[in-house]
Amino acid sequence: MSEKSVASGHSRRDVLRFAAASAVGLALPGGLSATSDAAVVDGGVSGPLRSAGVLAWGPNNVLFVGDIMGAKVHAFALQEKDLTPQRGVELGNFHNFEGRDLVPGLDRKLSALLGTTYDKIVVNDMVVHQPSQQIFMSVERGRGTDALPAIVKVNHGQLEILELNGIPHSQVSIPNEPDSKAMLEFDPQQMYAITDVKYYNGEIFVTGITNQRFASTLHRIPYPFNSNMATCTVEIWHPVHGEFETRAPIIRQLIRELNGEPYLFGVYGCTPLVRFPLSALKNGAHIRGDVIGELGYGANPLDMLTFTSPADSKEYLLVTIDTRSASQIAVSDLASEPPEPAGGGIDFGPGGLGRTQRALPVKAEHMAILNSKWAVLIWRHPRTQHRLDLSTLAMPYFFERKDGMSEMNWPNGPDPFHYGEHRKEIDYVGRMWPV
Amino acid sequence: MLVACGRSEVAGRRGDFASLPVTGRPMLRVNSAHSPRRSGGVSACCLDPELVAFLARSTRLGDLLKSIFRVAVAQDPSPDGDSFPDVSGRYILFEDQVQFIPHFPFEAGVKYRATFDPGPLGVPGATDSLILDFSIPAERNASALTEVTHVFPSCDLLPENLLRFHVCFSNSMRRGRALEEISLLDSDGQPVADALYRPPVELWDRTMRHLTVLLDPGRLKRRLGPNLALGPPLKVGQKYTLEIGSGMTDRDGRALGKSFRKSFVVGDAVRSNISVENWNILPPATGTRQALVLMFANPLDWALLLRTITIESADGSVTDGRIAVDQCERRWSFTPGSPWIAGLYHIRVRSSLEDVCGNSITAAFDRPLRKGPNPVPEINDHSLIFRLI
Repeated sequence: MSEKSVASGHSRRDVLRFAAASAVGLALPGGLSATSDAAVVDGGVSGPLRSAGVLAWGPNNVLFVGDIMGAKVHAFALQEKDLTPQRGVELGNFHNFEGRDLVPGLDRKLSALLGTTYDKIVVNDMVVHQPSQQIFMSVERGRGTDALPAIVKVNHGQLEILELNGIPHSQVSIPNEPDSKAMLEFDPQQMYAITDVKYYNGEIFVTGITNQRFASTLHRIPYPFNSNMATCTVEIWHPVHGEFETRAPIIRQLIRELNGEPYLFGVYGCTPLVRFPLSALKNGAHIRGDVIGELGYGANPLDMLTFTSPADSKEYLLVTIDTRSASQIAVSDLASEPPEPAGGGIDFGPGGLGRTQRALPVKAEHMAILNSKWAVLIWRHPRTQHRLDLSTLAMPYFFERKDGMSEMNWPNGPDPFHYGEHRKEIDYVGRMWPV
Repeated sequence: MLVACGRSEVAGRRGDFASLPVTGRPMLRVNSAHSPRRSGGVSACCLDPELVAFLARSTRLGDLLKSIFRVAVAQDPSPDGDSFPDVSGRYILFEDQVQFIPHFPFEAGVKYRATFDPGPLGVPGATDSLILDFSIPAERNASALTEVTHVFPSCDLLPENLLRFHVCFSNSMRRGRALEEISLLDSDGQPVADALYRPPVELWDRTMRHLTVLLDPGRLKRRLGPNLALGPPLKVGQKYTLEIGSGMTDRDGRALGKSFRKSFVVGDAVRSNISVENWNILPPATGTRQALVLMFANPLDWALLLRTITIESADGSVTDGRIAVDQCERRWSFTPGSPWIAGLYHIRVRSSLEDVCGNSITAAFDRPLRKGPNPVPEINDHSLIFRLI
């Protein structure tokens, strides 16, 4: 099942390219290659990727990339040269809940970097490499089946392509991918083949759908990859729909140890929060998850992450959602919450932990935790259509003061939160369009 | 290799792939990609030998070239003065030229600007700066565009009470355009009002490649309100055209390569159920993989023919094989996966089979399903038998 394509740090494409270099070419260091054939096959920076979907970090700077078109999960062991510590990057005015745009106009800049127009840019996922605080994104140029994948990183506000062809790489094939022509009512099934990848304790967990009768699937794969893959099929009782569901996949997942036992928490579309003990995820098992929260009908989860609040030092789960505020739930409640009863009628909820969730004002398309104070998010600029920004957002309230109108913004206005004491502490270059 | 543009004095000229003679003076030119798998590039060529030697000696050549040889998407500057990155790529120093190869191939229709300005290097004799605006023309070969491959019924003579068309596309499609793009035209090319039924949801199959288009059933069923008010949608003896406009969009959001027209003449209505007993069975020879053929008196519904008839052996197991429908949907052929063996076979016909007018094997489309007060409809499948010796 596992396939090692590189041993020495050069991809096969690289080897071929160097082999093709003729004697009249000049061997050049540092990202330069020498060849006599000007029209050499390129695309090398995308390495073995056929598409760039979900991202996750593993140990020793390994970046996992879900590749739906290739039906694989790739592991790239990033080297020191691939990572740049982001020391000295201004993140915002934490005291005043004023974040900062790290990359304003992200979509237009990505399009310039990839040589296209912004309407062809799709950002599929974003993760933060915690030790360096460097932000990585999976990006595609184009929207059809011929889209070109790229991993792009942010280096002190500048976008750089992560050149995958020189990075030690291994991969694992995800079996039984949906047929490329098979459709759901509105989307190709393939879109959901790999919905999320997470690493925990020597394994990756891959959620998505397969072409099997019980389509919703969870693969548990050792890393470093070997042939021992455990695959379970997954079902839940979905209270909002009043039925058992075996095909709709887990959209986002998170693995946490609680009271000494590891659990996988998943969120589905329309939006049940579900708990699985890791011990139940055995090869060939058909498992039913415990629905511990209905977070609200008609919503789709975007990201699922945890953070420790700088206010009360408690740990919280945050589920960002496309249609409304993000859900905040105390991590301590995740293990103890009893499952919602199965087999009743349709119940639009909210249910379980959905009843006590706290709504946070997050409107991110992608979000990740940057450090103990700041989250980063990719979001659409409120006053300009077709503009994505990569910005910081202060925790734990996830509140961006600059974007709101309030009494406190008036000259000599009231100051109940003591904003005045920290005013103008940072530079907001690039934040606002000139009026 | 196509030579696009030249020296500093033609700065700003669009790269239209016009051939220019190689002059021996420094110039920028676009190298075309020979196939989609290959990247084109931009070359600064005929460079001064001293400049080439200077570059070859540099230990940080990549960074150096990034600053003097830049390729960018030509676009309006950001309103807040923020700058956009250059196109990501790599450089090749080769004989008297530097070539820039983008990491992602230049895209047709996007405007690019290449600038080569060796001035800051301070190499004597290499001070001219070059600019080249260019774009890559779109591929002329548009054969990959989605098109309508078939419209069923295939026949050019269709009954007055025709119920449905099946429109087949070469790729999966998107919803939402059928209402605007599909119309029925009369012999003068004018749309026939209220002939096609406009369902609230477009009737696509799972692959999104087949769309069912219904004629208004309310006008087809005699004695119903729309039929009494407007009459049947088609008139006997008239010529009509079903038009599928090129504005239908495929899964990738692209319009069709061209619109599609199916013209037909209207004949008499068919108002009787499908009579399975009258089908002509042409049995295959035992031990061969010859097709079993069924011939019908009238065209049957193409889509239903593909899924409502199965061949079962005497023990009830379904025989694997491939179905073909042709001769204006009057012929159904079944080629088995393995050779026929002697024995009794059932041709199982589901009660959901219909002809092109919606007449099923149990009843005609616009007759009552049952006679008398008994509310139990007949839904039994039919079965024909043949024996191979």
